[in-house]
Amino acid sequence: MSDLDKWIAALRACRTIPEASVRELCYKARELLIEEGNVVQVDAPVTICGDIHGQFHDLMELFRVGGDVPDTNYLFMGDFVDRGFYSLESFLLLLCLKVRYPDRITLIRGNHESRQITTVYGFYDECLRKYGSANVWRYCCDVFDYLALGALVLGTSSTLEPSPLEPGSQSNMPPIDDSIEIEIMNSRNEITARFPRSRRRLYDHELTSSSPPNSPSQTQRTSTPSRTPGGGPPGTSATTSAPASPSGGAVLCVHGGLSPLIDSVDKIRLLDRKQEVPHEGAMCDLLWSDPDDIDGWGLSPRGAGFLFGADIVKRFNHMNDLSLIARAHQLVMEGFKEMFDSSIVTVWSAPNYCYRCGNVAAILELGEDLTGGGVVGRSNGDLGRARGKEEVVLREGEVRSGPGRRYRVFEAAPQDSRGMPAKKPVADYFL
Amino acid sequence: MSNLQRSFAKAKLAGLPLDPPLPHSTFEEQEVTLEDPDDDLKPLPDQKFTDDDSSSASSASSASSTGTIRPSPTNRLFARPKGPPSGRRPLDPLLWSDFFDQELYLDNPRAHEIVTHHVYLTLPLEKGPLFVTHHGAGSSGLSFAMLTSELRKALPNSGVLSLDARGHGETTVKNTGQFTMEGPLNLSLEILSQDLLDVIRLTQKKLSWSELPDMVFLGHSLGGAVTTDLASSGKMGDVLLGYAIFDVVEGSAIDALQSMQSYLSTRPRGFPSLSAGIEWHTRSRTLRNTTSARVSVPSLLCQENLPGSTSGDGRPWTWRTDLAATQPYWEGWFVGLSKKFLEAKGGKLLLLAGTDRLDKELMIGQMQGKYQLQVFPEAGHFIHEDQAEKTAMVVADFYRRNDRSALILPPKVGDLLRQKS
Repeated sequence: MSDLDKWIAALRACRTIPEASVRELCYKARELLIEEGNVVQVDAPVTICGDIHGQFHDLMELFRVGGDVPDTNYLFMGDFVDRGFYSLESFLLLLCLKVRYPDRITLIRGNHESRQITTVYGFYDECLRKYGSANVWRYCCDVFDYLALGALVLGTSSTLEPSPLEPGSQSNMPPIDDSIEIEIMNSRNEITARFPRSRRRLYDHELTSSSPPNSPSQTQRTSTPSRTPGGGPPGTSATTSAPASPSGGAVLCVHGGLSPLIDSVDKIRLLDRKQEVPHEGAMCDLLWSDPDDIDGWGLSPRGAGFLFGADIVKRFNHMNDLSLIARAHQLVMEGFKEMFDSSIVTVWSAPNYCYRCGNVAAILELGEDLTGGGVVGRSNGDLGRARGKEEVVLREGEVRSGPGRRYRVFEAAPQDSRGMPAKKPVADYFL
Repeated sequence: MSNLQRSFAKAKLAGLPLDPPLPHSTFEEQEVTLEDPDDDLKPLPDQKFTDDDSSSASSASSASSTGTIRPSPTNRLFARPKGPPSGRRPLDPLLWSDFFDQELYLDNPRAHEIVTHHVYLTLPLEKGPLFVTHHGAGSSGLSFAMLTSELRKALPNSGVLSLDARGHGETTVKNTGQFTMEGPLNLSLEILSQDLLDVIRLTQKKLSWSELPDMVFLGHSLGGAVTTDLASSGKMGDVLLGYAIFDVVEGSAIDALQSMQSYLSTRPRGFPSLSAGIEWHTRSRTLRNTTSARVSVPSLLCQENLPGSTSGDGRPWTWRTDLAATQPYWEGWFVGLSKKFLEAKGGKLLLLAGTDRLDKELMIGQMQGKYQLQVFPEAGHFIHEDQAEKTAMVVADFYRRNDRSALILPPKVGDLLRQKS
């Protein structure tokens, strides 16, 4: 058994590994990550995950629900650390898996993968508590600086392959067909909802349709979270069903969202990412911004990054031949939330966040296009360069056909309270 | 000097009050020398010259890492800290006039009472913003004295209006109703919120402002509840750009209330002198910035005017506000605070001391990106006194971000495309 496999075994059991091993691991990981571009290219099939935040037992639940590494390919969109009690074990396990199976797991950077943020929100203190010094924290922070900023998933299928059912379980749904765009499953591998690819609607109709707008603030829904086609996350979208292309298009994954300084995927590739997350600028925005029901760009209440509206997302997707942007960063009580006619989705993978928020979590599975459609030329923000300069106009309602999407929704694992720090004493003066 | 060490020094120095007004003495300036470039996270060899005794070794090291990535022109890396030399720490009171331009007494006749509001004021210049502050229970308007001078450095055209709440500082209430019984002071949230609104309007009247300047509310503890309440009422209209609250969270405040009486009973009943009061506040680490304590503590105490009666123990300086008697109002101050904070219009900033003590509502709100959260691990409850300069920097950034007149968003991609074509 190699050192690496020993570390993986220890970390899977939620045990820390010696400081020297962390150092070696981080060194190896850095060697690997330094070779990756700012935007990693990932081939479908892949399972996309959102924030983890040190909730180790829930990460184990995620692997149980989504399949273990290396059997399932994973893409984690950052925020591995802080807030939960096992940031160290969670991040180091993911890092070990990355080093062990580099082609099977992709890690990109979240806004919490930063020295400044981790000193305030728990990871630094956890390292100090578990190792007695800040060395391990420092090794990890060095790795953070090398994490990619985004990923581009190619070769997705527009249809859903049936999920392998566990023996004994029965599907209560008819067999899958090509018309199914979205499928939602629970942690017992049971289908809870399906949404067919809807007919193309006129843009005007959508604007006046009865479905309320989906804003991140409208997530108070508590019961049966995944069955809310009206105002809830999935299925409210209209994606074009016109010329049925077998490919689901390219999916850009990034922790936060878009930046006013970035109008193409190639612009992300040009950034110098090997640094602490800056307080402003493109790199900061990619990790901090949020979609919102506004026109254009707006001020983010977070104090960093921007808010961006549907027009921004649709234009960006169109210009870059993207069918979807997948991002994390915002707590969604239902685990995931599609917005803007399914041009962007938020995936959140930390159930019962911070052990008290009462939310469920989700992961997003994108299948592989098996029709052999092969490589599709992509424009990278310079649409029409092959055809010579044509005027670029985003026609109303024109949205690329999205990939088939299977969301697996899961709840928090039973919490093992060992290893948790004692409850912090309340302030003694609070008037 | 290594980067880490440089940032350590920066964080360390950022914690120092710059140029504290020291009318009583002048001191030799001391050069800070940093040696030992190999040993990066070692505490400074001599911390005695610092006026800020808040940082233990561990919090200092965490502060250092906090400072690593905030290269900002306002960080004065090699500023020479001025302060009392080691050994002697003068604890004489400082005057309010070292920090504010003027004070106002504003008469406010109401149905059954006449309130004379006392406020400290530094006027905004030109189109500068006015920060309106409200202190916590048992404190006073001078709690924001240090912050005011720091804000003036960060935003030279800004002003600060800092009131004494009723029952605090020099604000007085005369009962004119039929029932002149001296009941306990009414410190309900509703009354305090109305007082704050009245103070703003009376100040406008007194200074003959045709219109109110752009405002940002700053509230500490109870004051955070009051400013949030007024902000969420919508009565301020568009002039309120945003509101920042300091170290108050509904969930943890209500948890802490249980132990508040026993905490209050551990405080000394009185002090032999003002300096002794200041010393108690710094020694007990209630306040961790001596300069701030010297200006804010005197307003918390008053001299008993009956010689020989209760002051027989040689402690004539007693608490101006009987905090224990305000207990009936405590819960009312904080219940519903998180909801109001998240719902009110305007920019929202929550500044916390120590660790983040978010309740569920604020945790969800934060993770959905509804407000800005900043945590100062090295500060105590009086975060704006302990870390006046850092607080001022965060508040100034917060203002600049929310300043509508200066809101410049980067060009839209669409506009750029249109320009090209």
